[in-house]
Amino acid sequence: MSSAATQRPNGLALFILPSALLFALFFFLPIGLMATMSVLTGNPVVMPKVAFTTRHYARMIDDPFYLEVIWTTIRIGLVTTLVALAIGYPLAHWMARIKSRTGHALLLMAVLAPMLTGIVVRTFAWMTLLSDKGVVNQTLMSLGFISQPLKLMYTETGIVVGLVHIYVPFMVLTLTGVIGRIDERLEQAAENLGASPLRAFIEVTLPLSLPGILAGSLLVFALAISAYVTPILLGGFQIMTLPILIYQQISANFNVGFAAALGIVLLVISLLLVIAYNRALGLVSGQRELQ
Amino acid sequence: MSTSTSLTAADRAMPVRTAAVPRRYGRYLYLAINVSILIFLLAPIAIVVVFALNPTPFIQFPPVGVSTRWFEKFFASRDFMHALGFSLEVAVLTTLSATLLGASAALALARGNLPGTRLIVATMLSPLMLPAILTGLALFQTYVLLDVGRPTWGLVAGHTLVTLPYVVRTTLAVLHNFDTRLEEAAQNLGASPLRTFFEVTLPLIKPGVLAGAIFAFIVSFDQFPVSLFLVSPGNETLPVTLFNYLKFDLDGTIGAASVVSIVLAFLVVIGLDRTVGLRSYVKL
Amino acid sequence: MMKALGSSRLSRRRFLTASASLGIGTVAAPYVARADDPTLRITGWGGKWGEIMKAEIGPAFESEFKCKLQIDSAFPYLPKLQASSRSAPIYDVMHTNSNEQWAAAEMGLVEPKIDPKLVPNLADVYPYAISDKIVGVSIFTSAIGLGMRTDKGYSGVSSWKELWDAKYNGVRGGYVIPVNSLGQAFLMMCGTLFGKGQTDLDAAYTALEKLKPIKIVDFTGAMEKMLLSGEVGLCVIHDSGIYRYDGQNQPTDFVSPSEGVLSLEQVLTITPGSKMKEIANAYVNYMLRPEVQKRLAETVWYSPANKKVKLDAKYDAKLLTTPEKVSKLIQVDWKWYNERKDEIDQRVNRIFRA
Repeated sequence: MSSAATQRPNGLALFILPSALLFALFFFLPIGLMATMSVLTGNPVVMPKVAFTTRHYARMIDDPFYLEVIWTTIRIGLVTTLVALAIGYPLAHWMARIKSRTGHALLLMAVLAPMLTGIVVRTFAWMTLLSDKGVVNQTLMSLGFISQPLKLMYTETGIVVGLVHIYVPFMVLTLTGVIGRIDERLEQAAENLGASPLRAFIEVTLPLSLPGILAGSLLVFALAISAYVTPILLGGFQIMTLPILIYQQISANFNVGFAAALGIVLLVISLLLVIAYNRALGLVSGQRELQ
Repeated sequence: MSTSTSLTAADRAMPVRTAAVPRRYGRYLYLAINVSILIFLLAPIAIVVVFALNPTPFIQFPPVGVSTRWFEKFFASRDFMHALGFSLEVAVLTTLSATLLGASAALALARGNLPGTRLIVATMLSPLMLPAILTGLALFQTYVLLDVGRPTWGLVAGHTLVTLPYVVRTTLAVLHNFDTRLEEAAQNLGASPLRTFFEVTLPLIKPGVLAGAIFAFIVSFDQFPVSLFLVSPGNETLPVTLFNYLKFDLDGTIGAASVVSIVLAFLVVIGLDRTVGLRSYVKL
Repeated sequence: MMKALGSSRLSRRRFLTASASLGIGTVAAPYVARADDPTLRITGWGGKWGEIMKAEIGPAFESEFKCKLQIDSAFPYLPKLQASSRSAPIYDVMHTNSNEQWAAAEMGLVEPKIDPKLVPNLADVYPYAISDKIVGVSIFTSAIGLGMRTDKGYSGVSSWKELWDAKYNGVRGGYVIPVNSLGQAFLMMCGTLFGKGQTDLDAAYTALEKLKPIKIVDFTGAMEKMLLSGEVGLCVIHDSGIYRYDGQNQPTDFVSPSEGVLSLEQVLTITPGSKMKEIANAYVNYMLRPEVQKRLAETVWYSPANKKVKLDAKYDAKLLTTPEKVSKLIQVDWKWYNERKDEIDQRVNRIFRA
């Protein structure tokens, strides 16, 4: 590959323009509006007098409740990402290495199926499974293992289970590409040199798939911290995350300024992560990689 | 030089590989783990199907019977049918625009020698980072400001925004692995840069673009928070209609809606697999 | 290989043209329809209310007044109204509960009073429908009380305080107070039950703390389902949420607590910037007509605000259809509540987090 460092943009660079226009009109403009509203007392378009204020942001620092909400959101995001990684990796590995075309197609269907169900219904399916009168509890109680229903929903655990279910496909599909590109002969070479399959995996495959792990984790984390439907339904409305709080502020407190401020905080957290990810990626592999 | 098959001194010096646990068990464990993961992924879907066929009008287990009443209710409902059709339409339009814009952006980023490529890529992926509910509200606010109301193209624009990142990712992935020697070979054989582009580059990145298109379709069809603010009465997407339905009725109709969605989406994916062959390209 | 590419390219092209024309057709369609009748934009609930509005009441209104009725049933409504400009509001008539109407009135988004000259049926409503605790007009109301399972052996349920009994741990049901008006009214009831009155927030907070464990939901529909499935055994709910399953033999019943039932009003208001004021007022008047009130009341088991409505016997027995029954309704001071909503929400979010 030629080094792009000192090359001038060529004709192909123009192809970015349509997307740039889309972003300018439909992303930067609205988000800029939101950012502006987060430092105003009201909506300038519909209210006569608005003033500049930092009270929306100050509120977050003054009351520890909001810091707790931010931390809960991040915590759920982290746990979801780790579990999705633990679950997604084996499946991605299998999908990347499977030889038969039908087998691959079936696995793909199975992985895509959760995504196709639709977020609302999928969450309700989990409610059917985890609620006090749901599948898991009814089965365990009828088998006599428990006498009182287990509290599977209404907890962070329930939320994580639901979120993992939604985001594992994203993790799998990110990882399977990277793993697929790892030359199998490298693993074979390691095994020929005396390593057990496990050791070959840990010392050859895993490190080489690190860029994929990072990419998949970043994607899942970003999606998990901005999730709304699943945490609210599976948390039984008793666990408060940033998106839920934002929605509450918009729909029940009609406080768009505060909601916007909360949203900007979420955006900043995500952006910090992207930066951290880029750094980590640079450390891990000096190669060109997709971001 | 020596073609003898007898062990040399070097061979004898190699440690004999003795596995602590026979390889077979490792293999079984691998399969067992993966099968359990598959069960985890598919169990809720099985529940949805059961739910769609159970006659009682609320969540209940074990199911009391098999009935098609919820499917009948779903197909008889004008609201749901319209929402299904509208969702499909929006998804198709979104897929088209996201694919066109995303693929061309990826090309520009990979080959255009743009300054600050990394920053631009990060920016293009940022719609995924912001809670979609804010994006939805922000867009609604903007549309109101510009006095355009809540038109369908506004909804498609919002969907395109949140699906574009996927197309960019998949296309970039293919472009990174692209063997540029193929393009060089074509040019060496006398093809102009434009012809090389259309007859070599484009067909070879097509699977990556198509994989992105599939994601765009699925994500748009299932998209909820952005749609919540941008749909207008009479033109609601299926997820919004379902969500509102659930405020009042928690019965198997949502299960029926879901089963129908899965079947439809499967048909789309299978159709694409047949025509293009997705094997190694459905990766993010 | 080439053949396969060729055929797929062909089918894809056809597919693209088809979808493009479909897309253009649909985008253009609304603009075509707009050339017709004037449109009155209103909000409305889904479920049974929405069904009957779309099937009967709406079309009847449309043909009588030569207009189109556009009903937005994608809750929440107020944020959308709030984001639209004052001179071009997104709704002409807003239908929602009292707490939201008060918030909207405070923001200047809806007119606080309906003109009796433009809505003559206003003369026939019960006093609560246009009291000083209401902005706009209440067209229906429900009684907020307790809902219970009848097959779990709960006896002697007659007071609000029953909800705090330990035997309901694990099957108690309540609402997400920041987003639900039943929850908010209930909070103020707690002040009355355990303190000096509706405004005794400290007493209310203490009482709510003691109410845990409790399963909370954001909308009454969800509570109805939890009660039906047995997930909840005793809950706060409005009478309509229990009675609407009449005839289905469900093991549920409604209890009017001895300390009194709270009023959950269905309120209509008109937006000041609406360009359809005449039809808007006609709509409000129409919804107060005895025949319309009777039909809706008997479908969803709401108590009609018009005194002149004669409901069938079985509805009459259970709903609030006499001045005497109606006078027992406790109306809540929403203006006061909304002023303190932020701090109340902050406190309540803390109390109920897991």
